[in-house]
Amino acid sequence: MPNYKIHQNPVRNEWLEKIAALENVKDATAFLQDFRMKYTTPLRTSYELDVDYLFIEAKAEERLSLLKVAAFSNEDLLSMATTGETAADVAQAWMPKLESEKCKFTGERIHMEFRQLYKPPVLPVNVFLKIDSYLGSRLMELRNSNYYDCSLDELREQRGVKVLMLGDAA
Amino acid sequence: MALSAATKAATDALSINRAPTSVNPQEVHRWLQSFNWDFAQNRTKYPTKYHMANDTKEQFKLIAKEYARMESVKDERQFGTLLDGLTRLGAGNRMHPRWGETMKVASNFLEVGEYNAIAASAMLWDSATAAEQKNGYLAQVLDEIRHTHQCGFVNYYYAKHYHDPAGHNDARRTRAIGPLWKGMKRVFADGFISGDAVECSINLQLVGEACFTNPLIVAITEWASANGDEITPTVFLSIETDELRHMANGYQTVVSIANDPAAQKYLNTDLNNAFWTQQKYFTPVLGMLFEYGSKYKVEPWVKTWNRWVYEDWGGIWIGRLAKYGVQSPPSLRDAKKDAYWAHHDLFLLAYALWPTGFFRLSLPDEEDMEWFEANYPGWDAHYGKILREWKALGCEDPKSGFLPIQWLAENGHQVYVDRVSQVPFCPSLAKSSVTTRIHEYNGQKHSFSDEWGERMWLTEPERYECQSIFEQYGGRELSDVIVEGHGLRSDEETLIAQPHVRADKLWTIDDIKRANCVFADPLSAL
Ligand SMILES: [Fe+2]
Ligand SMILES: [Fe+2]
Repeated sequence: MPNYKIHQNPVRNEWLEKIAALENVKDATAFLQDFRMKYTTPLRTSYELDVDYLFIEAKAEERLSLLKVAAFSNEDLLSMATTGETAADVAQAWMPKLESEKCKFTGERIHMEFRQLYKPPVLPVNVFLKIDSYLGSRLMELRNSNYYDCSLDELREQRGVKVLMLGDAA
Repeated sequence: MALSAATKAATDALSINRAPTSVNPQEVHRWLQSFNWDFAQNRTKYPTKYHMANDTKEQFKLIAKEYARMESVKDERQFGTLLDGLTRLGAGNRMHPRWGETMKVASNFLEVGEYNAIAASAMLWDSATAAEQKNGYLAQVLDEIRHTHQCGFVNYYYAKHYHDPAGHNDARRTRAIGPLWKGMKRVFADGFISGDAVECSINLQLVGEACFTNPLIVAITEWASANGDEITPTVFLSIETDELRHMANGYQTVVSIANDPAAQKYLNTDLNNAFWTQQKYFTPVLGMLFEYGSKYKVEPWVKTWNRWVYEDWGGIWIGRLAKYGVQSPPSLRDAKKDAYWAHHDLFLLAYALWPTGFFRLSLPDEEDMEWFEANYPGWDAHYGKILREWKALGCEDPKSGFLPIQWLAENGHQVYVDRVSQVPFCPSLAKSSVTTRIHEYNGQKHSFSDEWGERMWLTEPERYECQSIFEQYGGRELSDVIVEGHGLRSDEETLIAQPHVRADKLWTIDDIKRANCVFADPLSAL
């Protein structure tokens, strides 16, 4: 449990220092992608930063944005990812991934990974939203089809949760 | 991009007269006739499972001619009444103090709903393809901006005229300390603006506006009047006059997707989830604000609920949509059970956590207790007994150092927070149909209090990641949390929140500190 203040605390300060040390687009991109894989979305590998991750992520995004604006031409700001890929290539690589996907769990993994890797400022907003709303629409179709077909028991098993307590719930 | 005919007409008019002092009615007419959105192809940035049809009709061109005039008359009437007539009468200070406290919460929270409704109807503007349907949503954007100002103005007015301004004056920063805030964000923010655009329309227009604005904005004016408050009806009824068009927008959303095969697959699921989302918070919170936040009672909340939610909305309104395949949501039956006890359950927890509020809460007196027992038989033996015990232990008196949240912990009454709705629940004290479910997933523990919410989380867990107040404050001492959240009055000692509405015996931050109340997350103990 985080026994410290919400807005100013040692954990945030420690991460702010790491973020301030990022000097170029390449390092800041790698840092942000790595941070998101470890500490964001239900796929994260650690909940250690549960009450601070959004703040830290926002600050890392801010840093990358500034580095990117300094380094990129106006044209590149609209068409390049900070990974060095063109935004169009990223769209071409990711949009087909959910096209024929039938499994909602694989689908959500693809969508979450896309967000962990490419949420702005990694991708320009214009391209990110195009891909994200496409993947999101496809995922919602998978998840919302036959919504009530499985019992809660079956759903818990599919999701892979460990049931710790079922009070008077059937 | 080609100029639209409307923009061209406006540009031409301006080039003839650079600084027009009046507008020719013919020009207005011409402008409105040509009003359109010139998209070669609609390109929305929001995801949806549905396809909104291209030929949906809407009456905006008719109302647009009257719109600005109508709204300005309403504003003049409202602000004129408040700033002249009601100020002279001292109306801002004439309501029962309990009700003055209720409005700290009600108006400020509704402001958040209105603010998000701006974004939600703008998102629907972006998602719709039919020009006329876009216009309907656009008019709503304008309305919701007006409503946001109106709600903010209620708190501002009270801050100037009500005898206890603390809370009215700075709710925007202090509201986030306690547990009511996060649940409100779930219904009034996430519910309106996250996920499928059509699902958002269902949350906002089909459920929020068509179902809950009746109790939220209309019934509240009856309770306000009964408790001496002339301010709230003046403003809220003015808001409500716009809502009919918003409900019509929700109706048009459904009409626009009625022929889409996707509607058959998804619409009733989205409606059921939206209804459950909205009712899970509003059923207990509105009931609590009305019955416990007033001295003079209008009617039992369960009666209001049955009339507006169950019969009027679930029966008549949804019935009108039956021809488009819309069914009454199955969760309505479970909600009906909750409308009896859920707000009493919530009051126990809200009162137990009173120091985290930005308003004063008070215990029911003997007369109130009689009313509760008469209208909710069985109330006294359960809730009445606990509240009397807290009173006897000195919960109102700062000298006692007694905090009911500590009493709950000492007596083994564990308080959890439902991950999906963020509404707190106490399984061992709840009389409503709470059913505890606690899961561990990928190293994180989650608690839930009903099957509909659990299913929503199991299906889309990334939508429900909000930390509970116990996860957020775990290990911290209560006075420290209050100070960080700006929960003190301008003397920097006295709490904004109080467990009574008297003028004396006010709790200070030192009284809280002496109680040494430390937050613990019940999930981490499992
Ligand atoms: Fe509104
Ligand atoms: Fe509205």
